Amino acid sequence: MTDCQDLAAKQAALVAALVAGAPVPDGFDRRRVAAARQALLRKRAGEVARAWPVLAAECEWPGWFTEWAADRSPRGGLRDGFDFARWLRSMGRLPDVAAAELATREALWWYDGQAPPRRRRLPALRQGGGFWILQALGRAHRIRGWQAG
Amino acid sequence: MTAGWPSGVGLGWRPELAGLFDELPGLRFTEVIAESLASSGAPPAPLAALRERGVTVIPHGVRLSLGGAEPLEPARIDFLARCAESLEAPLVSEHIAFVRAGGIEAGHLLPVPRTRDMVDLLVRNIRQVRASLPVPLALEPIAALFDWPDDELDEADFLTEIVDRTDALLLLDVANAYANARNRGDDPTVLLDRLPLERIGYVHVAGGSEHEGLYHDTHTDPTPHEVLDLVRALCGRRPAPGSMLERDGGYPPKAELYAELDAIAAAAGHPRITGTAHP
Repeated sequence: MTDCQDLAAKQAALVAALVAGAPVPDGFDRRRVAAARQALLRKRAGEVARAWPVLAAECEWPGWFTEWAADRSPRGGLRDGFDFARWLRSMGRLPDVAAAELATREALWWYDGQAPPRRRRLPALRQGGGFWILQALGRAHRIRGWQAG
Repeated sequence: MTAGWPSGVGLGWRPELAGLFDELPGLRFTEVIAESLASSGAPPAPLAALRERGVTVIPHGVRLSLGGAEPLEPARIDFLARCAESLEAPLVSEHIAFVRAGGIEAGHLLPVPRTRDMVDLLVRNIRQVRASLPVPLALEPIAALFDWPDDELDEADFLTEIVDRTDALLLLDVANAYANARNRGDDPTVLLDRLPLERIGYVHVAGGSEHEGLYHDTHTDPTPHEVLDLVRALCGRRPAPGSMLERDGGYPPKAELYAELDAIAAAAGHPRITGTAHP
């Protein structure tokens, strides 16, 4: 193994320990790496909260998120919020107003959970949180509720 | 026309603080996170207005990963060059750090092992970046909550060798120097005694707080007096460099932020930029 491959492997192991739930590599101060891990999670939660204000306001921020994110590597505020909101929805834990925010994002962005989100070019209609969301020409409109409350 | 060298007291540009910048009559420089700019490197309207006012705007990269084992991405270097041109900046800054490895983004700046091999790698990468930039590069040493077990050099020797071999400038973050020294149980002024202070391009100042026995450089807390003392100690050793406050959240009321800017001015011996009279 060359020096550069060795360094690459060590850096990858450290990053995996810090943001993807892998064990702390030998020789590092575990308490300090754990503190850095928490600091990175808080920073990440802050970035998601900026991109997804309703999600953050409705979902016991940052506790639920940091629990979910601890062993999932970061993908940026927009995408982390998408993944987290969809995960909550699949568990039946996404509050209505946050579901409306997710439906709005889904009307604006094409995102399959694999490739980075892309702005939709064609109109789209989504429902969530008691609303229909119509996106046309890149703008989202709440057109009506389909249920009370 | 290229903007002036960073001087006096600065405040880091953040969209949330945009309204405050119009009320800082003495402001001569600011800094923008390069990766927050459009891919053309063009500034948003309020930042462009500051440029027109003659305020220097320095692009500050956070995702180049100069200390990463993987090769630098040429597109990121070209982007920093475009930012410098678009902002007519006199210099560009980046960090001595890595931010990704093995296909995973860490989401923040991580410390590199202070080894002789890492010095060689950084020198190669910094030379590659400088060859593509139209202006000088200033390197910021980061705040780190932990060190690598592989370390062979202390921070002063490590930084001095990198700067000597690349002719790069230092962006000395006084708050990072304080945080590292405090968490290692060192005296931060020793670093000032041993670094090539004449190579400092400008300085960062920021606040932090202690959690569970470790000092965190949060940028969301007020600047502690120990950091201001270090600004004072630095400016007693060389002519006061441009000194910029970084605030990234937990934004205080305007009066508190102004008081912080005035405290930095007092510590560095710079004129106030807030337009408030001296008491």
